[in-house]
Amino acid sequence: MRGEALPVLGRLKRGLTLGVVVPAADMAVLALLWFVGSLFFGFLLYGREVYFFGPWWLALLGIVEGALLWGAWGLSPGMALARIALQGPLRGRAGYWILSHLGPVGALLALFDPEGRLPAERWSGVQAVEGGRRGRPWYRTSTGWAAVVGLVLSLGAAVGTLQIDLNALFTRAPATVKYWQQVFRPNTSLLVLGIQLLIETFFMALMATLFAAPVAAALSFLAARNLTRGWIGRPVYLLVRLAGSVTRSVDAVLWAIIFGVWVGMGSFAGSLALWIHSVVDLLKLYADQLESIDPGPVEAVTATGASRLEVIRYAVIPQIVNPYLSFTLYRWDINVRMATVVGLVGGGGIGFRLGGALTDFNFSTASMYMILVIVLVWAIDYLSARLRAKLA
Amino acid sequence: MRERLLLSRRRFLSFFLDWISWVYLLYAGFSVHYIRTSPTLIWRPEEKFVLPELGLTDWILVLLVTVELTLLVRSFGVSLGQRAFGVILARADGSPRVGFFPRFGHFLASQLVLLTVGLPVLVRPDRPWHERAAGVALLPRPRGAPRVRPWWTSAYALTGAALAGVTVALGWVVTDIQVGALIRDVDKPARLWRGLSRPDLSYFFVPHPLEVDSIFGALVKSLFMALLATLAGAAIAFPFSFLGARNITATGPVGRVGYALTRGFFNVFRSIESIFWASIFAIWVGFGAFAGTIALFLHTIAALGKLYSEQVEHIDPGPVEAATAAGGNRLQVIKQAVIPQVLPPFLAFTLYRWDINLRMATVVGFVGGGGIGLLLKNFKDGGEWTQVGAVIVTFAVTVWLLDFVSGWVRERIV
Amino acid sequence: MAHLVIERLTKVYERGKVRALTDVSFEVERGEFLVLIGLSGSGKSTLLRCVNRLVEPTSGRVILDGTDVTRLSPRALRRTRRKIGMVFQQFNLVKRSSVLSNVLTGRLGYVSTWRALLGRFPKEDLERARRALSRVGLLEKMYARADELSGGQQQRVGIARALMQEPELLLADEPVSALDPATSHSIMQYLEQMNRDDGVTVLASLHFLSLARRYGTRIIALKDGQVVFDGPPGAIDNAKFKEIYGEDAEEVEVR
Ligand SMILES: Nc1ncnc2c1ncn2[C@@H]1O[C@H](COP(=O)(O)OP(=O)(O)OP(=O)(O)O)[C@@H](O)[C@H]1O
Ligand SMILES: [Mg+2]
Repeated sequence: MRGEALPVLGRLKRGLTLGVVVPAADMAVLALLWFVGSLFFGFLLYGREVYFFGPWWLALLGIVEGALLWGAWGLSPGMALARIALQGPLRGRAGYWILSHLGPVGALLALFDPEGRLPAERWSGVQAVEGGRRGRPWYRTSTGWAAVVGLVLSLGAAVGTLQIDLNALFTRAPATVKYWQQVFRPNTSLLVLGIQLLIETFFMALMATLFAAPVAAALSFLAARNLTRGWIGRPVYLLVRLAGSVTRSVDAVLWAIIFGVWVGMGSFAGSLALWIHSVVDLLKLYADQLESIDPGPVEAVTATGASRLEVIRYAVIPQIVNPYLSFTLYRWDINVRMATVVGLVGGGGIGFRLGGALTDFNFSTASMYMILVIVLVWAIDYLSARLRAKLA
Repeated sequence: MRERLLLSRRRFLSFFLDWISWVYLLYAGFSVHYIRTSPTLIWRPEEKFVLPELGLTDWILVLLVTVELTLLVRSFGVSLGQRAFGVILARADGSPRVGFFPRFGHFLASQLVLLTVGLPVLVRPDRPWHERAAGVALLPRPRGAPRVRPWWTSAYALTGAALAGVTVALGWVVTDIQVGALIRDVDKPARLWRGLSRPDLSYFFVPHPLEVDSIFGALVKSLFMALLATLAGAAIAFPFSFLGARNITATGPVGRVGYALTRGFFNVFRSIESIFWASIFAIWVGFGAFAGTIALFLHTIAALGKLYSEQVEHIDPGPVEAATAAGGNRLQVIKQAVIPQVLPPFLAFTLYRWDINLRMATVVGFVGGGGIGLLLKNFKDGGEWTQVGAVIVTFAVTVWLLDFVSGWVRERIV
Repeated sequence: MAHLVIERLTKVYERGKVRALTDVSFEVERGEFLVLIGLSGSGKSTLLRCVNRLVEPTSGRVILDGTDVTRLSPRALRRTRRKIGMVFQQFNLVKRSSVLSNVLTGRLGYVSTWRALLGRFPKEDLERARRALSRVGLLEKMYARADELSGGQQQRVGIARALMQEPELLLADEPVSALDPATSHSIMQYLEQMNRDDGVTVLASLHFLSLARRYGTRIIALKDGQVVFDGPPGAIDNAKFKEIYGEDAEEVEVR
């Protein structure tokens, strides 16, 4: 990178990466360390939850200065992830550290440097180069150490926060004997009812998958980078992808709660929850598949003078039909598993009854339902795998 | 001869598939009608399976009708069963063009087979009497032949469509789909919408008066639950995954037993939902995050164990052979040739599992597991919709962020 | 007037700012078999793709039969493209589709959109597909899936697809690079046949000079996106060869 002039966009990117993204990532890492450290020592010293040790200004100072120092002297996690390392004499590091306080201003100033260097690089003789210091074993990097310390602190904090008490596992075991007996004596009189509920659960998964696939398939053409070009296509692509990713982060269980309020608890709410989650999940799978099709046939069919729709019909669709079906079957498999859980919160199907039995600690009922669920899940798992093997 | 026997197996299976489809069509159709017209208008699981109220003669009639329909379609078109098992009705000399009369003959002769309860088929399974009499034969479908008619006018496609249609209709009534309600009642969850669009974060850091944890505290608990369960689960799954990999263990009888046991354990425990464990451990160690953690942990061992083992089975055998040839013992081979290959995918699976565990942590909280799930359940049961909204939004943002970060990290380490 | 005129054609790829073609100009007469040669990365594929605008030229003109291809509206461009057949190095067949349906895509520029979308090609087109396939000797593979064929057979399907367009100009981008020498010759002979019997102007890029000498009526050599040689095959001597391919190159024969 040294001595090479960059276009404005390249300078902007370089400046932002070095001046903003890397320090921000380092600060986030340090803040996280501080946080789990506080929890850890809080439990160790006071036996209660302490989210932030020390006065806020000290924490802030520690995090900001720590991140900048880390960036100037060591291979910080931000730099490791951005695959960047600093090169130059050790004495230049102090200067780099001081000037790196410019932060976003430095990133702006990098715009005016032909090589896109930060002021910190310009005046300190230290240069950020791409590639990083490879080949070092992880235990000889500061990032590796930070990860280990973070992990240990997190584990300690977790043990404290969750009130892990392994003793209870042994001392209280005798009290559970009664329940284990119930577990191993499932209530077989519920078999017929259970199968009916199972059918309901099965249909929840089936309907959700069936109605999700066409919607996702249609949307996937708007969410594939290689099919959405131009000034209309690109914003649509970004919008669909963003909406998908936001919707996907609301779990099916949460959707089940929402729909439970909306249309009333029941299998309809459960199906809707599975449906919406399937749509966004399939959308991602489908669109990724579309993006990885062989461009050769597309080019060839375009060259014959075919229109856009014809190109999609003859060069794109034949390539994706089987993968799409395969993903749909896979999703069906997942939906059958999830239908139980969704039923638990949104009502409907065997999940609702299973949840009820579990909260009542009625384990002979619960284990009967659980066995039925396992049978269904295995059957669908097997079926879906067989069908997918056929499609491959 | 072998081929002929194979054909007779296909004849039987295809007939059975055809007949069962008709039975399914009728029964599913009846169920749709029944559920739609039953007084409560909903699917009532409390009731027993419902059969049409018919007398014995009616049942015989139903049986006859389904069988006759089956024979009709099998004689005059390519039935679903014939298509699925790859056979067609052809002339005795193998030509696929069969005229009306041989087909009709086949239909009539089949009646006699029915009357004798399939005796001719039992006597000569390879070339039963009714086919010889009609001058036809059931032969394997020639591959790659051009279609004479468009497929959607064929009997199998029509039957398939009918099956699909009836299944969707049944699913529609069983899951009680009401598009009307969906549209009409948009404003029903109004308070929830309000909570979602303007989440009430007043209890974000301060616990709600009726709760122990603040939203943030509960979130931290759920995150730690997922973390601890994932790490502990991975630590246990890791050594066992080698036991559960066919290419590592299945070399002697002992190894094979170990393999079967490990895989069996993984498969069974993977299918038992975490909520089941959560409830058991809620009694065992008391309600709360600890119980939830154990529940997630048990499920994680099995789920990760299976993924890990499959990964070990799919490694490149080259380095393993090289290390074995160099004289390494089993453990040395694993350390030198297997682990370097599987570590990156293992890491990716583990990160992915953390994500799943975090999502599952909500569910586990519903049945006594603690964390954000418990908070959500309490707010929901208490009708505190603005709080429910706040929890959902908080949780979704967290999941989104973690998804983003873990995707980014995964991309760089794999 | 020349069949195809290339005028000061320049292409700069936005990504990476690569100058793939710089000021390329030449004319091609009707019925010529023009061979493009040059090192890998010299811009052969880019040049061919600029002719039917699979790649948008940065500047310059491509004039086919008196019309400037670079100015055409999308609709007119499709009409022009159907007169330009194209054959590819990697064959670019739809692997999961049958040979017949691959060949029929050659008619997409001619049939109406609704017919195309429903897959209902007119009877004449099916007849035409039969003729094209029997011309390349693949009639019995009509219903086979494209990925069941060998490389040479796939390229013959590619040629049949181009034949379906009844092209006036054929672009062939390294049509034989993925094939063995014997198969290469048989494929090149099909192209020669189209050139000779149907009067199709052929623009082919080739990697082997021996093939270029054997089949081309004229050779154009590119180096770093510029024309460094334009003349009959016989005019390439050892010095020229070294200029095109670099000092260390050795000529390889394909028989
Ligand atoms: N889509 C593209 N984006 C950016 N640069 C490209 C693109 N396609 C080609 N190039 C560049 O343009 C130059 C010319 O490429 P081109 O494919 O035309 O060469 P070629 O002569 O066909 O080479 P080969 O014999 O390897 O096929 C190369 O430097 C290549 O890297
Ligand atoms: Mg090329």
